Amino acid sequence: MNDTAPSPLPAPAPAARRWFAAVLAAAVATLIAIGAFNAWVDPFQQYRIAGRHPPRYYASLHRFVVPGIVRNATYDTLLTGSSIVENTRNSTIGGICGGVGLNAAMPALTAYEQGLVLRAAFATHAPKRVIAVVDFTGFNGAPDARHPLAGPLPAYLYDGNPLNDAPYLLSWSVLVKSWRIVTGDTSERFRSDADAPWWWADGKRFARTEVVRGLDPRDLNRQFPQAPLDLEQMKQSFDRNILPVLAAHPGTEFDIVWPPYSIVVWGDYVQRGQLDVTLAFKRFVFEATRNLPNVRIVDLQPVAAITHDLDNYTDLYHFSPSVNEWLIRAACSDAHRVRSDNLDALDRQMRDQARAFDPAGLVAR
Amino acid sequence: MLFNSYDYLLWFLPATLLVFFALGARPRLAQASLTLASLVFYGWWDLRYLPLILGSIAVNFAIARALQRRASRPLLATGIALNLGLLGIFKYADFFLANVARLTGSSPQLLQLVLPLGISFFTFTQIAYLVDVHRRRAQEPAFGNYALFVTFFPHLLAGPILHHSEMMPQFALRSNKRPQTANLTSGLFLLAIGLVKKVLIADTFAPIADAGFGAAATLSAPAAWIAVLAYTMQIYFDFSGYTDMALGAARMFNIRMPINFDSPYRSTDIREFWHRWHITLSRFLREYLYIPLGGNRHGEARTAANLLATFLLGGLWHGAAWTFVVWGALHGLALVVVRLWSRRGMPLPRPLAWALTFVFVAVAWVFFRAASFGDAMTMLRALAGANGAASTSVAAWLGGIAGSLSAAEGFPRALALAPAVAGLLVVFMRENSNAMVESFRPTLRNGVLVALALPACVLQLARVTPFLYFNF
Repeated sequence: MNDTAPSPLPAPAPAARRWFAAVLAAAVATLIAIGAFNAWVDPFQQYRIAGRHPPRYYASLHRFVVPGIVRNATYDTLLTGSSIVENTRNSTIGGICGGVGLNAAMPALTAYEQGLVLRAAFATHAPKRVIAVVDFTGFNGAPDARHPLAGPLPAYLYDGNPLNDAPYLLSWSVLVKSWRIVTGDTSERFRSDADAPWWWADGKRFARTEVVRGLDPRDLNRQFPQAPLDLEQMKQSFDRNILPVLAAHPGTEFDIVWPPYSIVVWGDYVQRGQLDVTLAFKRFVFEATRNLPNVRIVDLQPVAAITHDLDNYTDLYHFSPSVNEWLIRAACSDAHRVRSDNLDALDRQMRDQARAFDPAGLVAR
Repeated sequence: MLFNSYDYLLWFLPATLLVFFALGARPRLAQASLTLASLVFYGWWDLRYLPLILGSIAVNFAIARALQRRASRPLLATGIALNLGLLGIFKYADFFLANVARLTGSSPQLLQLVLPLGISFFTFTQIAYLVDVHRRRAQEPAFGNYALFVTFFPHLLAGPILHHSEMMPQFALRSNKRPQTANLTSGLFLLAIGLVKKVLIADTFAPIADAGFGAAATLSAPAAWIAVLAYTMQIYFDFSGYTDMALGAARMFNIRMPINFDSPYRSTDIREFWHRWHITLSRFLREYLYIPLGGNRHGEARTAANLLATFLLGGLWHGAAWTFVVWGALHGLALVVVRLWSRRGMPLPRPLAWALTFVFVAVAWVFFRAASFGDAMTMLRALAGANGAASTSVAAWLGGIAGSLSAAEGFPRALALAPAVAGLLVVFMRENSNAMVESFRPTLRNGVLVALALPACVLQLARVTPFLYFNF
């Protein structure tokens, strides 16, 4: 067998040169035109907040839209957290905390992504306040861990460097979105309400019956399986992703909020032997930030009036818009702050509540 | 850096071509620029591995120089051992430790090293060079030339596995430092073919194969066969597309690399398959393993043993797992069977021979693709219909994965499989890319095709992938 390819048939050099130049010119011109069109429409608001056309907040593309809005929107208070805070209006944040609010929530947010969002925000802003709602699971795993269902992270959208935006500007998916925006095609799932970009509560019921549906009292983890937590990994993730941002921006007030999961979640932690690790991590976060005067820890987890009333929830974790509003109110007031003089008491309170919870009784009721 | 990436297509390749030809009047500088660009290409992935490849090149060059001065079996053995040692540490150490642990019941500390890209390729390339220097078939006095031979970016990550003798004369030619229109045009054409194969065709099969291998335990036999055939097509278009991109880019630099694929799925026996699939690996295994083991010179039994040993090691070369060893063993056994059958003088009818070969290759890919031996057996059971009546039918399965089929957004879902169908036609009916590039002429038709294909593929490099769990 002849392994080496022989020469192609010769072509007249000038004609071939013209062919090469014309083909390259056509391909490059096509790409430039598409890139310019995508930049002009800017469906993910990477270069400006939507103005020419109504904004589109795509139901499953938070990771593509959030970096643009945190860089380009005008706001005084930034809310970052997972899907549990999606049902918070920007006007609610602004109304309670003062100024203009912006909800930059993402479902299944990890600390790594939360750090990226915060860094993207601070690249162009110095917000007065950041409310960072944190989940234990978001800190588990490697410091750059991401949720397996979150899809590839468009990291090029977070660095504010337009020179590496080719995957955004030269993407067929983005081109289709741009075209749909320009032609008014509404065949995909999105919201245009800039005040409540990620809101989904209207399609859900918040009731005890929803929470206990399908719940196995002997295995509370079965419904939303969570991996065991690793305290050392969580500490590393906090140190790597969040702490440097807090320390680098002393002019911004940070409220780190432990969100009010339903008491069922704490029952699950007891069942799986995760209570100690969660409480140890909370203590670690307090200790790591106690010397930063711009950081406050807000602990809403032992507030039994909320967490034991399952009518506030649609499942173990996700609470109603009114609880979201209460959370913002707590963050922007002095309520439920963790201090060195109540740290042990809060720890004990949470531990007692978790151990007192009876899963079997919950379902039998 | 991958060939199917924005960085490569939009700036690396054009900039490297421009600099190389701009320096054409000073050949040594042009060559140095190409070596430097190749190191950038390699280091783009992870800078920490640059010293590894540079060290490997330096050590091999020094050993080769010593072998040039005086042929020495111990020195050659040392060189080969060093290369295999490097490969062993990065690729096989954990496999070895895990197996020892399984046998002894211990729990060793695994190294968990990241496998440096292309290490199998640049290791084999350099082993072949040392052997050829020892046999007085090669010599290279200039370190710069040797470094370029090893690092030349079109072949660095996924081959072809090069022979010193077929590359160095081309690198040395002064005329190759100036742009040659015939090579630029045909190279661009081949690059576009490769991109289409990789981006538009292979990636269409991928979600079907992934979904099938991920749910093998529940698949009905027809659904399992679709998944296996999808992988059969995916791996061909992926690898041969990548190779076409490599050959196309090299050709633009006036370098002809050996072809690596020649319509392998048209083969009518396994021997022919290995003359058409990953041709340069077959060549390496034949020249540097099979023949030194004795080849077919010592009777049937020894020949069969040599074939088996060659393919067991060939399987292991593809990956550090027993599944690859089994895959290699299956091919080795098939070669022995074909060899014995051909001695009977009763050739099978061509269609039957083709069907047998194709089905064998496809089923053997199960071991190549499965994450574990157990997963492979699960898929084989599904292929045999062992999942029973409760298994997922083809319609239900395809319906379930319809959302993940990578049809270009905005097109009707029914067109999701169109590239796959086109791929099948290409495999079995059209002339292959080797023939197309040989008969290439810079015509209007070809120009329109390339001018459409390049942007179409670039636009598919990045997809907006949704968060899959979006109930909230």
